[in-house]
Amino acid sequence: MVKIQGVSKSFREGLRGRKVQALQSLRLEVASGEVFGFLGPNGAGKSTSIKVLLNLIRPDDGKATILDRDVSDRRVRQQVGYLPENPYFYDYLNADELLWFGGRSSGMTADDLRHKTPALLERVGLLEARKRPLRTYSKGMVQRAGLALALIHDPAVVILDEPMSGLDPVGRKMVGDLILDLKHQGKTVFFSSHILNDIERFCDRIGIIAGGRLRLVGELDKVVPDGETLEELFLRAIDDDFGGLPS
Amino acid sequence: MRPLWPLAVITFKEGIRNRALYGIFLLALLLFVANFLICGMILRDVGKVAVDVALSAVSFSGLLLVLFVGINLLAKDLDRRTIYMVLARPISRRHYIWGKFLGMAMLIVTATAMLGGCALLSIGSVRWAFPSYFPRFAWSPVLLALMLITLMLVLLAGMSFLFASFATSSFVTLILTVVSYLIGHGVAAIKALVESPAEVGIEVSATTVRVVKAAYYLFPNLSLFDIKVQAAHNLPVSWTYLAGTVAYGLFYTALSVTLAGLVFSRREFP
Repeated sequence: MVKIQGVSKSFREGLRGRKVQALQSLRLEVASGEVFGFLGPNGAGKSTSIKVLLNLIRPDDGKATILDRDVSDRRVRQQVGYLPENPYFYDYLNADELLWFGGRSSGMTADDLRHKTPALLERVGLLEARKRPLRTYSKGMVQRAGLALALIHDPAVVILDEPMSGLDPVGRKMVGDLILDLKHQGKTVFFSSHILNDIERFCDRIGIIAGGRLRLVGELDKVVPDGETLEELFLRAIDDDFGGLPS
Repeated sequence: MRPLWPLAVITFKEGIRNRALYGIFLLALLLFVANFLICGMILRDVGKVAVDVALSAVSFSGLLLVLFVGINLLAKDLDRRTIYMVLARPISRRHYIWGKFLGMAMLIVTATAMLGGCALLSIGSVRWAFPSYFPRFAWSPVLLALMLITLMLVLLAGMSFLFASFATSSFVTLILTVVSYLIGHGVAAIKALVESPAEVGIEVSATTVRVVKAAYYLFPNLSLFDIKVQAAHNLPVSWTYLAGTVAYGLFYTALSVTLAGLVFSRREFP
């Protein structure tokens, strides 16, 4: 379903153009209907991996595919919903117009949108605020509008970059319920998070990345050794001396 | 067209609701009122001045629209990463540039139609107050002048997209667009001057001639779109000239946006 095959990516930084290796031969597969949690400290390469999947950046080496299509094929994204970390939207549009854009650009008919938009906005708690300009939204409301935008076209694959970021407990519960819903609908969910509790609650499999290298990947209940918590495993896995665990 | 239209529509909506647009319209309104007052004071060539000031107000307000609203529509997408929400849809980078440009062109056409309406009202009111100064006046050249101003602004917006496709900041795009506007309006006259320096008694080095000629062929000749004098004096404008200028404008615009799309398709958004 989602495959990252030996992807490496480096960036040039600063005036001297210092090379920074963001991803090193990253290899990862997420099966259909799976909820995959992508963990890692800040700057580990989580968002870079996600941006490779969305063709926002191109790998130096290797390739990424979704539904067996190379991610450089724009048609792949008809089946992909994406929520960026700290999403920003157009100031003067409202939630209705945002979803209209999302739906129409993904091939939905005006009729489909008329039915689906109010239901989805109600689901994310924005029905009453649907006509308000997005610039008047709080951070949590923007996050929820972003989630609605990611789901409006009923994608098969949902990629969420830190979906709980900036949400209050009520918002977090709502997003959590949505992820569980997606899981029950058989959608493939790829989400990155710092919040280990969320990963434990929703994910079938996890991957831990640090320094651009995948340190560990596997089913949640198999990779966490008996007597160890996910937090302890995570802290061990991001250590440079970590030798890796069977995946 | 399918990937372009939704993006064009939200670009247009985002632009038309931008508060900077209200400021530009207010300035244009003041210029139109000033037109009436200026004509009342000078009482000489009133017809010519009224048309000239009204069309210049449209042209100037349109320029502000391209520089401060248009450039921002693209720059904000890059600065604030709103581009993620667009490129995460089945929209290629080239579609993105064309969709944004289409929205911007719709904004320019709508804004100049509104500004043009005010300009016609302003000219009409001066004509009503001072009818004796409008012996040769006709509306059609004024409308043609407005159409060419619109096309010039669309072309300039296309160039700003080309600059934005490779510039690292909106300020660089702004400067390059202003420079193109200034060169575009003066380069034909300067070329004529440096090619026949003896006629005005000046000496021009071969390098200067080469630089001016390079600028002439590189930058669009925006003075072609300026027929204010013809509109003010109701002088004939041939259909050949009009068709040629429209074709030139459309060709240059398409070339700029296509190049912008090509450059942009190589960009990454980390």
